[in-house]
Amino acid sequence: MSTLHSQTGFALQLTDVTKSFGEISVMKGVNLAIKAGERHAVIGPNGAGKSTLFNLISGMFPVTSGDIALNGRSIVGLPPYQINRSGLARSFQITNIFPRLSVFENLRIGVLARHNVRFGLFQPVSRMRRINDEARAILAEVGLDARAADMAGDLTYSEQRALEIGMTLTTGADVILLDEPTAGMSREETAQAVELIRSVTEGKTLLMVEHDMSVVFSLCDRVSVLVYGNILATDTPKAISENREVQEAYLGEETAS
Amino acid sequence: MASMRNLILMAAVLAVLLIVPPFLGLGWQNALVNILIASLFALAFNLLSGQAGLLSFGHAAYFGMGAFATLHLMLAVEDGLGFPTPLLPLAGALAGLVVGLVAGYFSTMRSGVYFALVTLAFAELFHSLTPHLQGLFGGESGISSMRMPWQGIIFGSVLEVYYLTLGWVMLSILVLWAYTRTPFGRLTLAIRDNEQRVRFLGYNAHTAKMVIFAISAMFTGVAGALQAISNETANYALFGSQISAQVVLQTFVGGATIFFGPVVGAVSFTLFAYLVSDLTRSWLFYQGLIFVLVMLYAPAGIGGVVQHHMRSLRRADWTGLAKPYALAALGALLVGSAVIYLTETVAVLFGEEYSVNLRNAAGAYPGYHLFGLSWSPVSPLTWLVPLVLAGVGAVLLFKVRGTIAAKWEAMGRPETESTKAPDAAKLKGGAA
Amino acid sequence: MEFAIISTLNGVTYGLLLFMVSAGLTLIFGMMGVLNFAHASFYMLGAYVAYAVSSIFGFWAGLIVAPIVVGLTGMVVERYLLRRVHAHGHAHELLLTFGLAMIIEEMIKLFFGDFPVNYQMPDYLRFSAFSVYGTDYPFFRLFIGATAVVMFALLWGLLTRTRTGIVVRAAERLPSMAEALGHNIPIVFMCVFGAGAALAGLAGAVAGAFYPTNPNMGLELGVIVFVVVVVGGLGSLKGSLLASLIIGLFSSFAVGLDWSVASILDLVGLGGWAHSIGGLLTLELSSVSATIPFALMLIVLLVRPAGLMGERN
Repeated sequence: MSTLHSQTGFALQLTDVTKSFGEISVMKGVNLAIKAGERHAVIGPNGAGKSTLFNLISGMFPVTSGDIALNGRSIVGLPPYQINRSGLARSFQITNIFPRLSVFENLRIGVLARHNVRFGLFQPVSRMRRINDEARAILAEVGLDARAADMAGDLTYSEQRALEIGMTLTTGADVILLDEPTAGMSREETAQAVELIRSVTEGKTLLMVEHDMSVVFSLCDRVSVLVYGNILATDTPKAISENREVQEAYLGEETAS
Repeated sequence: MASMRNLILMAAVLAVLLIVPPFLGLGWQNALVNILIASLFALAFNLLSGQAGLLSFGHAAYFGMGAFATLHLMLAVEDGLGFPTPLLPLAGALAGLVVGLVAGYFSTMRSGVYFALVTLAFAELFHSLTPHLQGLFGGESGISSMRMPWQGIIFGSVLEVYYLTLGWVMLSILVLWAYTRTPFGRLTLAIRDNEQRVRFLGYNAHTAKMVIFAISAMFTGVAGALQAISNETANYALFGSQISAQVVLQTFVGGATIFFGPVVGAVSFTLFAYLVSDLTRSWLFYQGLIFVLVMLYAPAGIGGVVQHHMRSLRRADWTGLAKPYALAALGALLVGSAVIYLTETVAVLFGEEYSVNLRNAAGAYPGYHLFGLSWSPVSPLTWLVPLVLAGVGAVLLFKVRGTIAAKWEAMGRPETESTKAPDAAKLKGGAA
Repeated sequence: MEFAIISTLNGVTYGLLLFMVSAGLTLIFGMMGVLNFAHASFYMLGAYVAYAVSSIFGFWAGLIVAPIVVGLTGMVVERYLLRRVHAHGHAHELLLTFGLAMIIEEMIKLFFGDFPVNYQMPDYLRFSAFSVYGTDYPFFRLFIGATAVVMFALLWGLLTRTRTGIVVRAAERLPSMAEALGHNIPIVFMCVFGAGAALAGLAGAVAGAFYPTNPNMGLELGVIVFVVVVVGGLGSLKGSLLASLIIGLFSSFAVGLDWSVASILDLVGLGGWAHSIGGLLTLELSSVSATIPFALMLIVLLVRPAGLMGERN
């Protein structure tokens, strides 16, 4: 899988992507190229279309025009499950887990998909050692070992966010999309989450929506600013924070409020 | 520990089911056959509606298809086809699977309410179409056949049919239980919890739902086949909404979140119907009433209530609870008798027989007999009885309700899933 | 030509009747997310209440009392039953109304017996409105249609022109927001539920005087109404209207046509083969008219899963 992005060098490439809901155009020709192995943030004011962008990339909504390529191959028009199988996994802004399954089961579902035992009907899942081991490894990675048997719905908010990140890892995707992974967390929790994201995305490509500039600074190699359906600029966090145009459009507004 | 206890319990039930029936009368043997079939039907239905969370209101379609397919095979056996009689339900399974795949393809395109409506429409489609298809479904009168002997077994007695049914039902239950332990069984629960997330984990949710639908329809077809073997006849009424409604009622009264919950519902309703349906015309009314009460006050069903108490078996303050529970039972009994009294009175007073009497009595209101006593519709006593029963019962229930809630509150939450092994904790979610 | 005119008229009146019942259903669904399985039972209840009242106080009294009684029943159901189970989710609400539908049907059987009752329109309404090619067209059919049209003019006016209507529409879109703005949403919900039930009750009172009034009428119409809302798109009033008319027309035309797959194959010379096969191929359209709506629904599901006017999930 990971050798495929050699042709372009880009893990994810959006070309002139537009999206309209009826009369309203929310993406006005987005161009974005994410290098393989980089950690990339999308920032922008509320309503800029960040979540829509994620929904377009992950196949939740169809694009109106333009192309999205994953590891050099177009994924436009594919349903979400095929995009996932092509190596892209995402998390959701609003926690999106299986509340009445155990934490362990939440993770195992994805691991099963990765190993192509999606419709396995002839062997008890408890005997599939490799799968259980892998799920347990991810469980440890996101620090939820102690809660393996608890119902996911009973976890605290930040534990659920960690589980959510763990779930994006289970299918073995090498491009990870995280939608506001630290939203609603305390400063301490945020710091933990940043470390978690850093360690689990090691060697993978990360694209994240983030509001917290300190998270962006400490985690990301490059930042793109999305304002009302347009990419205003893409650069290193430092350069972005010094970009006047960006300051006017976004950061200024943020600091003023 | 718990699983060992369950295993012993199940072995005991199976032993009773194997040993006792030969000593029972024909009526009871027949009732047991019906109970077994209803149990399998409810379990198969619950695979879809309880475990996958896809509420079907048209499962009669697959039950009926299973029955008709089996009867056609039986007719072929009559004509000399060398098919072993004990394997006849395979025809039902196949019919259920095939029809379930087609119907499932359509219905699972949507979720939630739409899904429910489409399943209902499918059953009605068959119900409206089949009486016009003389060849396949025998028109309005349906088709009939006879069980043929096989390897010296005549299949003439109810007892033989009973053992055949028992074998198939036990086998099916075993398979359905094993299903919950497989990866696909777990995916089924994940779809119930959050279908959207499943899609973003690399699963084709539509195909998965279609397969779940088809498996549920397949086992429903087996239940239908067993019914056909037992009755040796079937007509288009099998596709009727009554049949679809029954299985919904039984499953949710029994408890859809617990594997054996539907069996509890199926057994109690079928047993009750057998015992009570001769006594009253209002049986279906009571059934509806029970269902609505369970939905209101015990959303997880009888099974859920039992499970809640089992989990707290050791911690609960049973001596403290005994008195309020007894009072509650008394209150329920009083209110229940008032409801039954009123219902049966209405049934008599608005019945045809009484209207004839009324005409003959020329203006006066004649008396009537009910529960072995004579009553007069104009006597205040007639109406005072239910009023007092209901009043006292309601007051009792109202008072004792707070006490019971407070006692449970004081004992804290029941053991949660966290105290159990990861693999045992899956099927037993909270309330639906 | 005669057939076409009569069938069109019949189809439109039947469609309007379907709309009268499905409108309440879809309005309630759009607002509260509750699919009321007992909605068609309200229709039946309306017919029986009208029958009982009219046998003592006359036809018009029945027509007025029935929607009031059914509407109040609906409000009680919403306030004391549905609201109780709301916390358990929509599936639970659906199940509850399913149980209520059973109870209502069995209660009707208890009081009125498991057979049709003699609920008739008064004799002075039993005349023909006009005649088409020598066939008299009953006035009462037009009366059913007209009742539906008047009801909808009123409802539409209420929803778009009055303050209450605006609150209802706001509550449909964003209940929590409307509540935050100081509107009593629980009351609004209860009233909308009652109004939807009353509408179904009125439809039953009117239609019961023309079509047979029996304990199965709820289920028979209910299933078609469910098909209507799936075809039209749940929550869309316009969709319901469109689907009601389409299904009304399809059904009324199908009743009079003896086409079959075999007769179509006759045109290309395969009729003999089809007749030898029999079964589905020789089935005449008229005898499967009850099946047509379901077939239509499956086609719509394939082509537009969200329904004709429905929004995508």
